[in-house]
Amino acid sequence: MDLLDKYKKIWNNHPKDTREFSSEEIYKLAHSKSSSIVKWIFIIGLIEFVVLNSSCFFIDMSEALSMYKKMGLIKFIYYSQIIFYIIVFYFLMTFYKNYKKISTTDSIQTLMTKIIKTRKTVRNYVLFNLSYFVLIMIVVTIASINTNFDNLSHKEILIITIITIVITVLILAVLWLFYQLLYGILLKKLNTNYKKLADLNSEK
Amino acid sequence: MEKKLEREFLSDFEKNQNIAHKICRIYTTNQDDHNDLFQEITIQVWKSYSKFRRDAKFSTWMYRVALNTAISLYRKSTKRIKYQNIDDFAYKIKATDYDQTEEFQLEALYKAMHQLNDIDKALIYLYLENKPYEEISETLGISSINARVRMNRAKEKLKKILSP
Repeated sequence: MDLLDKYKKIWNNHPKDTREFSSEEIYKLAHSKSSSIVKWIFIIGLIEFVVLNSSCFFIDMSEALSMYKKMGLIKFIYYSQIIFYIIVFYFLMTFYKNYKKISTTDSIQTLMTKIIKTRKTVRNYVLFNLSYFVLIMIVVTIASINTNFDNLSHKEILIITIITIVITVLILAVLWLFYQLLYGILLKKLNTNYKKLADLNSEK
Repeated sequence: MEKKLEREFLSDFEKNQNIAHKICRIYTTNQDDHNDLFQEITIQVWKSYSKFRRDAKFSTWMYRVALNTAISLYRKSTKRIKYQNIDDFAYKIKATDYDQTEEFQLEALYKAMHQLNDIDKALIYLYLENKPYEEISETLGISSINARVRMNRAKEKLKKILSP
């Protein structure tokens, strides 16, 4: 008899667990709060949507608007904001649709694919926000140099450009690191298992 | 309607809770984690219970939801979650005349399974539960051929651990 067949025989005589729950206890457990990673992805995703879109409440918008007016950027800001919110709405809809599709009754691989897809929507949303931030930084820097061109020396223009690039890169790096850390920790196990199953399917 | 569904769920789950307990023993190594995972499996089975069609066996369906929870949804956290008075539940120690040697060997099997990766754990578990390859491949979402190939590898790994 094969070694595993022996263990299988023992497994077939598996005793009932000593911690068997009554139906009242199962009822309480079933109605308690879930701590699944899907729930966390949903909560973190929502926080990201809210935080990134509520930044205007922390910035003095009237001062920013008068500055844009002075630089002749008011039309650009107006139209880019409209496009920005249309894209944000699209991301929100996709995020919600993907989240609703997640079902534990799917096969293990399908479930993992759907979880990763939902997370990718949030990742793309963050990437979109960061790109928009970079675009605004570049446009504002160029406009402010243009506005004050006559008063600035070449050296000053160079310094302003370098400072803007450094600040932009620093902000991007910090945000990216935070983001990678957040989802890296949350999805470490899932990513490992997903890769194992994907490797399995790609094997000939 | 909800009450009827709830009653059916409680009856089905209570009868089949050993599926969840076994999975918890395979995927966790201590009592707190066992309880956490058991709780999450109970929540997930209840959440998707309305999707369960009576044309399949409840136990077959529960294997999938429970394994999905253990492999994809459950993330061991260092900070203990607060579950509803689970510690207050008095565990009923079942009087059993279960063979002492078999109990020792079963413990050795669990310990060996702890050394496998999550996917291999699922494969070995389904093998021990006598599941056909068709069901194994459907549960994992891989082809039947891949399931066979991978199963053989997982079995070899387990054998090596059990008889070094």
